Amino acid sequence: MKKFLPPLIVFVVIIAGWYALAYSLDNNFASGDGSALIIPPLHQLFVGLNDATIDQIILATYISSSTALVGFLLAIVVGIALGILMMSSRALESALWPWLIALQVTPIIVLTPIIVRVVGPSFSARVFVSVLIAFFPIASNTLFGLRSVSGALHDVFTLGEFSRWQRLIGLEIPGASPSIFAGLRVSAGLSVIGAIVGDFFFTRGTPGLGRLVTYYFQDTRSGPMFVTALVAALLGLGFFLAVELLRRICVSPWHQP
Amino acid sequence: MVLNTPPTATVIAGSVLQINHLTQQLKNATILSDVSLALAPDEIVALIGPSGCGKTTLLRTCGGLITPTQGTVKRSCNEVGFVFQEPALLAWKRVAGNAQLLADSDDASVERLLKMSGLTEHKNKWPHELSGGMKMRLSLIRTLAARPQLVLLDEPFGALDQITRHRLHDEFVILREEYRFAALMVTHAIDEAVYLADRVLVMSGAPGQLVGEFTVPFARTRNSTLRYSSEFAALCGKIASCLGAHA
Repeated sequence: MKKFLPPLIVFVVIIAGWYALAYSLDNNFASGDGSALIIPPLHQLFVGLNDATIDQIILATYISSSTALVGFLLAIVVGIALGILMMSSRALESALWPWLIALQVTPIIVLTPIIVRVVGPSFSARVFVSVLIAFFPIASNTLFGLRSVSGALHDVFTLGEFSRWQRLIGLEIPGASPSIFAGLRVSAGLSVIGAIVGDFFFTRGTPGLGRLVTYYFQDTRSGPMFVTALVAALLGLGFFLAVELLRRICVSPWHQP
Repeated sequence: MVLNTPPTATVIAGSVLQINHLTQQLKNATILSDVSLALAPDEIVALIGPSGCGKTTLLRTCGGLITPTQGTVKRSCNEVGFVFQEPALLAWKRVAGNAQLLADSDDASVERLLKMSGLTEHKNKWPHELSGGMKMRLSLIRTLAARPQLVLLDEPFGALDQITRHRLHDEFVILREEYRFAALMVTHAIDEAVYLADRVLVMSGAPGQLVGEFTVPFARTRNSTLRYSSEFAALCGKIASCLGAHA
C-alpha cells in the first residue's frame, strides 16, 4: 500500500487540478449545451464519443501502434548492431559517433517533412521516423554496456579460447544486457512519440493518433481530442511496461545494480 | 632443506612452465627484469613480493595474456587455468552454468568438483546469492573443470576473511591432491605461501626480479596445526626478512 500511496496522491492532485482548470477557464462552457470547448472535466470526457468517433480512434490506435511496434523492433536491431559495430572498432566509433549525435540533437519535427518528401507518405515513412528517434538510446547504451564488461571475464574467455562469436553471444551481450534494457526503456516511449509526430505530416490515408488529435482540435471537439491524447499516453505506457516486464524476466533475477 | 638464494636461470626436466630471462615493459615502464623460473609438474610455487613489483604481470605473461617484451615463456601443457583476484563469474549463469563454462562437457567431473567444494546444494543459485568464499570456490572449480596441467592463481584468497581463507587453503590442498596440477600462485600472505606451496619465490620492488627462493620442507598433505609450529613460524620469518631486505 505504501508503494502505491504517493502516485495515488499525485493522481488525485492532477484530477483536482484538471477540474479546477476546466471550471476556471472563462469560455470553456460558452457553447450553451453544457459541453466544454477547451478542457472537458473528467466526467464529460466521453460525452462526445459516438460509434464513428470510437471507430476512428481504434483505427488510429492500430495505425500508430503498428508503426511504433515495427519502428521499435527495427530501432532495436539498428541500435544494437550499431553498438556492436562501434565497440568492435574505435575508428568506426570515431567516424560514426559525431553523426549519430548530430542526428539525435536535430528535432525530429524538422526531419519528418524531409523524410515524407523523400520516402513518400507511406507506412515505411512513418516507421522510418519512429526508428530515427528511437535507435540512439539503444545504440549508446549498447556501446556503453559492451565496453563495461569486466576485463577479468574477457581474460577467462581468452584463456578458454572462445571464438569471437562465442564471446559476443556468451559474454558481451549478456554482460551488456542491463545497459541495453535501460536504452530500450527510453526508446520504447520514443518510438511511440516518433509514430505520432510523424503522423502529423501525413495528409493522405487513414490518420494515426497524431493526425486525429489535430482533426479534433480543428473541429473544437475537445472530448475526443482528450480521449485520443489519453490513448496515445496509454500506448507509450504500454510499450514501456512491456519492456519493463521483459527486463524483469530476463535481467532482474541475476542483475544486482 | 631451506634454501635462500637469488634464483638464476633454473631448468627443470619435464617442466610445465619454463621462463627464461623475461623482461616485461608496459607503457614504456620496465615491470619485470630478467626473470627466470621453472615449474615441475605437480609443483606449487608461491610468488611473493611488495605491491606493484610485477607479480600479476608475470602471471599474465605466463598465461599468454601479455606477450613478453624480451625472453621466453614456454608452457609444455595444453590446458592452462587462471584464477583471478576477483571470482570473475558470469552473473547471468547459475552456479552450475559457471562451473560448466570451461569444462569439456564432462558433467560427472563438474558434479564431483561441486560436491568436493560443497556447492552441490547451491548449484541453482545465482552468483550474487553466494558468499565471498563460495564465489572463490566456484571460480577455482570452474578452472579445474577444464583439467589444467598448470594453474595460475592471482591472490585468489586475498579478499576473504581469515577463517574462510584457512578453510579454502585446506580445500585447495585436497583439490591439488586429487587433480595433480602444477600451480604458480601470487600472494601477499607469507603464511599462505608457506602453507600451500612447495617452493616460495620472493620478488624485489619494481622492476620485479626474483631475489629469493625458499624450499618448503613440510610434507605435501598439510593440516592447520602446521600453522602453529615453530618450523612454520621460522620459515615465515626468513621469508619476511628476505622480503623486507628487497622491498
